[in-house]
Formats: sequence, C-alpha cells, structure tokens
Amino acid sequence: MNRHPLVGWLLLAPSLLLLGGLVVFPILYNVWLSLHDKHAFMPVQAFVGLKHYVYFASDPEFWSSVRYGAIYAGATLVLQLLLGVSAALLLNEGFRGRNLLRGVVLFPYMIPTIVAVILWKWLLNDSYGLVNHLLLSAGLVRAPVAWLGKDHIMASLVLTSVWQFFPFVVVTYLARLQTIPPELYEAAKVDGAATWQRFLHVTLPQTANVLFVIVLLRSIFMFTKFDTVWLMAGEGGVSRYVRTLPVYAYARSFTYLQAGMGAALAVLMFALLLVVTAVYFRAFRREEAAA
Amino acid sequence: MRQLSRRRFLAGTAVTAGTALLGRAPAALGQQVKELQVWHTEVEPQTVKTIQDTSIAEFEKKFPGFKIKQQALGWGDLNTKLLAALAAGSPPDLTHLNPFMTASLHVKGLLRPMDELIRALGEKDIHEATLKLQYFDGKYYGVTHAMGGTYFAERRDLREAKGIKPPETYADMLNLAAALTEEGKRWATQMPGEKLYMGFVHPAEWLAGNSGAWVDAKTWRPQLNGKPMLEALDYAQKLNKFMPAGWSGQKYLDTLAALATGKIAMAHLSGARTIGYIERYAPESMRDPDHFQPMFRPRGPQGRVGMSALDGENWAVFSQSKYPNEAFEYLKLFFKKEHYLKYCHSVPIHLTPIFTSMLSDAEYLANPRIKKWRSWHDFMVRGLKEHRFLPIGFSRPEDNVLPFLAELDGSGIVADMVVEVMVGGKDPKAEADRAQKRAEELLAQLGAKRWS
Repeated sequence: MNRHPLVGWLLLAPSLLLLGGLVVFPILYNVWLSLHDKHAFMPVQAFVGLKHYVYFASDPEFWSSVRYGAIYAGATLVLQLLLGVSAALLLNEGFRGRNLLRGVVLFPYMIPTIVAVILWKWLLNDSYGLVNHLLLSAGLVRAPVAWLGKDHIMASLVLTSVWQFFPFVVVTYLARLQTIPPELYEAAKVDGAATWQRFLHVTLPQTANVLFVIVLLRSIFMFTKFDTVWLMAGEGGVSRYVRTLPVYAYARSFTYLQAGMGAALAVLMFALLLVVTAVYFRAFRREEAAA
Repeated sequence: MRQLSRRRFLAGTAVTAGTALLGRAPAALGQQVKELQVWHTEVEPQTVKTIQDTSIAEFEKKFPGFKIKQQALGWGDLNTKLLAALAAGSPPDLTHLNPFMTASLHVKGLLRPMDELIRALGEKDIHEATLKLQYFDGKYYGVTHAMGGTYFAERRDLREAKGIKPPETYADMLNLAAALTEEGKRWATQMPGEKLYMGFVHPAEWLAGNSGAWVDAKTWRPQLNGKPMLEALDYAQKLNKFMPAGWSGQKYLDTLAALATGKIAMAHLSGARTIGYIERYAPESMRDPDHFQPMFRPRGPQGRVGMSALDGENWAVFSQSKYPNEAFEYLKLFFKKEHYLKYCHSVPIHLTPIFTSMLSDAEYLANPRIKKWRSWHDFMVRGLKEHRFLPIGFSRPEDNVLPFLAELDGSGIVADMVVEVMVGGKDPKAEADRAQKRAEELLAQLGAKRWS
C-alpha cells in the first residue's frame, strides 16, 4: 500500500470530488457571496466585507426571525418527542393489530410536504374547514376560530409539523426499544419496580444515546425547516407572525432580490446551529461522564 | 404458443425502440425543430386551449421549423421562475410581466424595444390606459395582453334593501360596511390575504385614491408615513372590524367563493372573473347582475376619485431571447382580430381588449356572457373613461419609471405594516414610521437613494 499512494488517492477521488462539489464549494461560495452586494439575477456585485453582518446585528427583522425560529423549533421538538416516544412505547407492546398500526403511523412522514400542508389548511380553514365544523357542532366554540389568522397561525404551523414529523421519532426510538434486553425489565420487576420506575431506570438510560441523536437531528431539521413554513403562510399577510430565519433568508435572496444579504443570513444560521450543537455535545458528554 | 428466444426478443425490442426514437426525433435526421418559449399568466384551461388552437396553431403553420411551448403560470410562480431563468441567463423568448417589474428590468438593459410591433398593431387604437405603460426613453418595451379592471363586487340587492347608495368616500364605505354586517351571519367584506394584494395592490390603490404616492417624484424618498397613507391605514383598520377574523390567512379565490355563497356582502378584490364564481356557486335564482354588480373604490379625504388596479400584464421580449424576431411575429398573430377575439372571449370581460375599436365591436359584444353581464362590461368602460384604473402596484402613472417597485413589493415592508395595523390593531403612525425606515434602508441598499 505504501508503495502506491496514488492508487489510494485515485480511489478516494470520486468521493472527494463529490464532497467538494456538493458540500464544501457551496458553503465557501455562500460565505464569499455574503461579503458582496449582489443582486439576485444581475451579474453585478461589489465587495462590501462584513457590512451585511453589521446590518443584521441591529436588524429587528433578523432578531424577530431568530425568535420565531426558536419558538417553532422548540415547540415542535418538544411535541414530537412527547408524541413520538409515547407512540413508540405503545407500539413496542404486544397487541392485536400492532404491525398494521406500525405501518399506519409512518403515513404522515411518507406524504409530500405540499400534500400535508394543503390537507391541514383545508382542515383548519375558518370558512369551510372540518375542525371548526366539529368544534361548532360540539358546541365548544360559538364562532369559527381563525386557525390560519394572526393569533393561531403559529399553533397551526406547529400542529401540522408535529403531525408530519413525529413518525421519525417513533421509528428511531422504536428501533432502539426493540434491542433492550428483556432481562433488564425482568430484573427490575423482581426488584419491585413499577411501570414508571422501569421506564425511568431502564428504558430512559438505555435509550439516552438515541434520544441524543433524535434531539440533535430534529432541532437542526426544524430550525432550518423552510418548505412547511413557506407553504403554510409564506405568501400571505400572516407570514409576518411565522417568519423564521430560513424564510427570511429566502425572502432576502428571492423577493428583496438581495442575494448577498440572503447568503449572509444563511451563514449566520449555520453559525448559530454550529454553536448550539457544540454546546449540546459538550453538555451531553459531561452528563455521560457524570453517569 | 410459439416460444420467443431471448436473442429474438432483444433484437425485436431494439428495432422497435430505434424506430420509435427516429420517428420522434427529427433532430437526429437533421430536421431540428426550434422551440419558442412563451410564458404567460392566463392559467384558465379554456384560455390555454384557445391560445394553442388559434395563434400558436397559425404560427407553427407559418413557421414550420418552430414549435411554441406555452407555459401558463400564476403570478407568484411566474416571478419566481423568471428570476431563476434570468439568473441562469436563459429567460423565455416571450413572457408576461407585471408593469411594476418592467421598469426594473428595463433599467438593467434586459428588454428589447418593440416599436415596430406597436405600429403594426395600430398605435392609435391601443387604449390610452395601457399604451404608454412600458414607454421609456422614447421607445415601447411592452404591450398589454388584455385589460381587466379590479373593483369591489357587491351584493347589490342587500345594499339597495338598506337604501344606501354606492359609497364615494371612506366614511361612506364604513357606514355601508356597518349596515351590511350581520353578526354571526354575514360580514360586510373580505380582503384577500395574499401579500401581493393586501400588502401592495391595495395600498397602491389607497395612495392613488387619496392623492398620495409611494415615493417623492424627485427624490424617490418613500412616503409611507405621509398623510395619505396614514389616513388610508386608519380607514383600513376601521374596515377590518367588518371583515372575518381569519381573512389574512385566506386567499383571493376564497373571497370570491365567500361572496357567491353569501358569507360576505362585498368582495374587496374582484374582477369579471368573479362572474364565473357567481354562476357556479351562487343560488340559481341569484346568478344575475340584479344581485351582483361591480362597485368602484371609495376615495380618501384628499382624493379626487377612488382608484383601483388594472390587471393587465404586458408581453415582453428579453434582450437574451434566442428568437426575438419570431417572438414579435408570434405577437402579431396573437393580436390578429379573429384570434384575439377568441382569446378575450375565453374569460369574457375579465380579458377586455386593449383596442379601443373592439370595446364597442358588435362581434365582441355578441358573446353570450357579455350580453348577460353587459352592465359589468359597461362598468369597465366607464372606469376606463373616468381614469379610475392604474396598473397593478402603481400609485400614479409616473410609477412606471421606478426601478424598485418589484423589490418594494417583494420585501413585504408594506404588507407587514398593513397586517400589523389591520389585524394586529397597532397604531398606524408607529407602524408607518417603522415601514418608512425599512423602506428608506431598502432603497439605499438598492442604490435608489436620491435624497440627502
């Protein structure tokens, strides 16, 4: 092997080319673009250094989008975890129809985002939506609720997202649950542990690693989620109340037509996620070391 | 049954595939077909079919080496797709553009002049409301495909039952809205929730109908916190009380359905396209102009007359177009009277012809829907005569030279202000000041700052 290092590099070349072309180059190009004043479609640009970053530091729209992004990512993450882990625990038990239910639960994750959003927008429409119809019929509300209006658009968005993405948590968590040795539960039972105690002292420690990955991935996915947010409210006046960072970056690039500023926002989003991920990793390692 | 050997099967498949390929690919035989890309915004299936069967069919007959590929796209899709195509350096050969985008593209040198075409079509016959919209530096850079006025569509029977005249001022409109609102049963009106409409088209109308403007004519300094806009915002905030709570999350077509089904008494953004909804969804006994009719916008305290938007995109040919001459040739066929009549009749009245002579042409007026809804046509003609229409997004005719209206619309600065005032109930002055600051920053970033 030592005598033919070139062969090794040649074998690596396709992967390196792919990685370089599809990952490294776009990131570097984006950083370079963020240092320029660049119109979205005109081939003119001017180097402005860190001007865009300085501007965003005091831009209320930027901070508002960070806040909305954090609310959206936080709320959807917590609800996906609660719902996903509960569903996985249920589907790990033996009962009739379990296999069918395991398939059905994946359904929301398998349908395209556009379909999921249109479906929920129909259900939540305040003129002809099924949700309001049911609420009115049951006498729970006196007038139709404007689910897609200012006061409830964030809740509707969170609901749609949780419905669509909680199966990811179910599948991942269930896979880990199925590999926990049953002897651990039997031993706990012998020691007199009740159901909740078995979950707390056997299931949770055994699934801590997978939960770590789920939280990490879902946080990143939700903080950078664009399609669901855009389709739900992007074109409407209410978009103001759910304008997350990816939507703001898109708007700067393609509706304000300021590609340089859009690129700067993408870099800031990347940096924010990098910092949060580093802190999260460190906290988890400390926790693990303590355990 | 005789058995087929693998070799024979493969050979047979190869021969069939080869024949099919040669048959489908004239390029392979040296007969290259050139494709003229045409993008437009008339998405109704009958309009797409009419275009295909009339002007495109004749063009392809006349120019055998060419095929026209038409793509019908909604406004939002068209803008996004156009930007991507321009960025990639391969825009379509011919496209619809919103007039507020045309100036922006013209100053960047992206459009071709079309004076020869305008003269061929009959410069003097093109209606003055559209003729000079794309006229820059003494040359024409676009021609409107058809005109569609926008206005309120009202339940005339409900208003007349209350003994109220069509409103002329903001105050009249608020009185009418209060009278037509029936708690739990019907709202007076509903605005479309799309950003483009509630955050750009309507604010432009408010400014135009209250002697205001987007920007100062000389310095281009935004005028979002000027008196005309503040008065309009105050009016909009009051009008919001007579609209369903969730309007900002609903769309333009939802408002038309709401009017037809009796959920609202006035659709805020309407045009003759509404007739289609009335004929489909209104109770059968009410599908007529006695129950539904158009109504002009009210004027603001400082305005002379209520103004509304003229829906009329213009055809444009890019300087990067591959086949510009053929694009112009196609446009001559598009506007050929026999084809153009059929095109306008595909959505009657909504696609009002741009030629003055055709507005009273017997053949044009003979269309059954125009006959039945004649009062809507007359209303449109009256609006044109009284100069009540301005192109979408224009606060005054001179806005056609502003190269940043597309960016102002896209930024959502105005939409944010309107939604905060109307839906959020915030103070109009504070929101207008905030929007003003953002708009000034935007124009400075775009290099359009002429004030000190």
